[in-house]
Amino acid sequence: MNKLLLLFLLPFTLFAHMSIAVSYPFIGAITKSIGGEHIDTVVLANGNWDPHFVVPRPSLIAKMRNADALIMNGAQLEIGWLPPLINRAANPKTQPNAPTFLNLSHHVELILKPKSVDRSGGDVHPDGNPHFHLAPENILILAKTIEEFLISIDAEHQAIYETNYAAFTEEWSKNIAIWKTKMAEKKGKKVIQFHDNLAYFNKTYGLQSIGTIEPLPGIPPSSRHTLELIELIKKEKPCCVLHDVYHSTKTAAFISEKTGIPIVLMPHDIGALENIEDLKSLFDYLTGAIK
Amino acid sequence: MKKILLSSALCASLAFGAADVLPVEKRTFEQSKFIPDISLVMDASVVSRSVSDDEVVGLEVPGVAHGLLGSHDHGDTSHAVYNADNGFNLNYAELVLSSSVDPFFTMDGVFHFSENGVEIEELFFTSTALGNGLRAKGGKFNSNFGYLNEQHHHAWSFNDMPLVYETFLGMHGINETGAQLQWTAPTDTYFMVGAEVLQGENEQMFGNQSIHLDDLNAANPHLESADAPSLFVAYAKTSFDIGETTILGGLSYAKGSSRLDHTEDEEGAHAFSGDSTLYGADLVVKHFFDSYSSLTWQSELLSRKMEGTQYAINPTTLASTAVDLTKEQSGLYTQLVYAYDKNWKVGARYDTIYQNDIEKSAGTPAFAPENLDKYSAMLEYSTSEFARFRLQYDRNNALYNADDERQQVDTIMLQANISIGAHGAHSF
Repeated sequence: MNKLLLLFLLPFTLFAHMSIAVSYPFIGAITKSIGGEHIDTVVLANGNWDPHFVVPRPSLIAKMRNADALIMNGAQLEIGWLPPLINRAANPKTQPNAPTFLNLSHHVELILKPKSVDRSGGDVHPDGNPHFHLAPENILILAKTIEEFLISIDAEHQAIYETNYAAFTEEWSKNIAIWKTKMAEKKGKKVIQFHDNLAYFNKTYGLQSIGTIEPLPGIPPSSRHTLELIELIKKEKPCCVLHDVYHSTKTAAFISEKTGIPIVLMPHDIGALENIEDLKSLFDYLTGAIK
Repeated sequence: MKKILLSSALCASLAFGAADVLPVEKRTFEQSKFIPDISLVMDASVVSRSVSDDEVVGLEVPGVAHGLLGSHDHGDTSHAVYNADNGFNLNYAELVLSSSVDPFFTMDGVFHFSENGVEIEELFFTSTALGNGLRAKGGKFNSNFGYLNEQHHHAWSFNDMPLVYETFLGMHGINETGAQLQWTAPTDTYFMVGAEVLQGENEQMFGNQSIHLDDLNAANPHLESADAPSLFVAYAKTSFDIGETTILGGLSYAKGSSRLDHTEDEEGAHAFSGDSTLYGADLVVKHFFDSYSSLTWQSELLSRKMEGTQYAINPTTLASTAVDLTKEQSGLYTQLVYAYDKNWKVGARYDTIYQNDIEKSAGTPAFAPENLDKYSAMLEYSTSEFARFRLQYDRNNALYNADDERQQVDTIMLQANISIGAHGAHSF
């Protein structure tokens, strides 16, 4: 009888993976690197779409309902889509404040926290710029945070998580050095963006963002602002327009035509462009994009 | 050893303590951090209708609903239909408060302020800790029957409710006090079933209060009340994605007592006592071109059966005449909305009530035309997620005047929907 029971239970213990829902692909990649074979990651958002505007498809409710833990970016990046999913799934393990819920933004120093918060200034993030994963140093902090998180909810595999984290850190630190060398000559260059989603990248490599194509965060381009931007570009001579993959490049193309500066597509996450398959290729691409 | 431990603990507490001590002025009973999320939504419109306000109030969808457009008195409550009058309309101010209650519940309150007073549109608590895919809700809320019913007015794609919803259930849909239990299956494909027990006080279709016809004329019967709660709702929904296309479908069922008191109506005063069943099928297909652009096809079919006794009130003697009455009515709406980008949307909707069978045991047969339809088109511009302006045109062919003549009503309206405060996130 006992043997039968064991036989019945065996498959469950073999596949007793923790399923961790994560909001964005980059979180999934870090989590998978550290969790290894002991966890399954379920990524909710597409990497090629605007991280602010993810559609709360009902299929995501099913994913959330079945998750053992949830890791999100935070800093209000998910404010427009994650709350209804958490609410609908009604999973105690994915409720904010549950021990199995991790808000990464609580563990990273946010920059550009607005002094005053008012929507006349556009769709501002009151806690600061939420796109912190685009600085490679921050990836190390996130990896450490996720390692501690995994250990806290699954102490049984602590040694494995520690080993995986150490391996990840070693590899990543080598890459940081390579990217630093690659970007050294770009230091001090002025850039234009569509939305300030490269703030942490720019800060890391000493790029100076002098303007955005959107007049205010979340407000689409206006002709007056575009003309002002063209004047600014003519005066300040930035190297290029660093453009995300999800907004239309129509206005940027117009600016490029009027000023002669090139548009450089900057993927923000894994899957944003076809050949961005993992975290390393994301930063390889970003650090090689500006010519 | 002990000493070292003690002193190091002391040092640590000092080092930590120094950084952690709150400034004196902050060590108060202040609780501002616990203020719930607050948002305020205003909805206003300017309307131009081909029929005057006085005339429009008297129009009805024969055998289905009366007094559909315009503001009208109903018993002792005067309620305004959205976009009721020609010219400017302040439809409502919606105040939403929501927050966690404790580790086990959240609570949401939705209050509609209008020029007629305040209505508790919704006020409910929702469980967060049941697990196993279970979620329970209690209080007053919009039923999850069908697709549109749960959404608030400002989440609709058109300024007005689809004809079949408005005529069968009134402009609030199934909005009741009761309890709800939903279960999401542990499958990769979204599958949810839910059941609701509701008080059953919908003015168009469900009711349980006794009707005192004997107060009008001593010879009239007294219509007994039904046992409350008297409305039961159940539904199943499923959804899956094919690439960038999401498909959501559902089947719904509602059954309840009907005690409908229309004895104070100026024309054709009557009361109804019986039971009603409502069936619903909904299908939403949404294709995303990118983060901001999408095409949505949304359709719902509603079919109802009302069985009971109708008591017609003689306007002079106030005596009632009873006849057995069975209504079988069905209608649907189907709409297509194209979101060009974050700012612009355009859409069209077709409404119809295609079945209108009314059987009476005696008396003159009821006037029940079947080709009742309505066409709508809209164009909307949003300056941001918080402000939307929508221009809509309606051609309504479902309305008849007191002489049973069809009265086509054309309406053009411009609606402004503006919100401040907490960022409202919409579900699918």
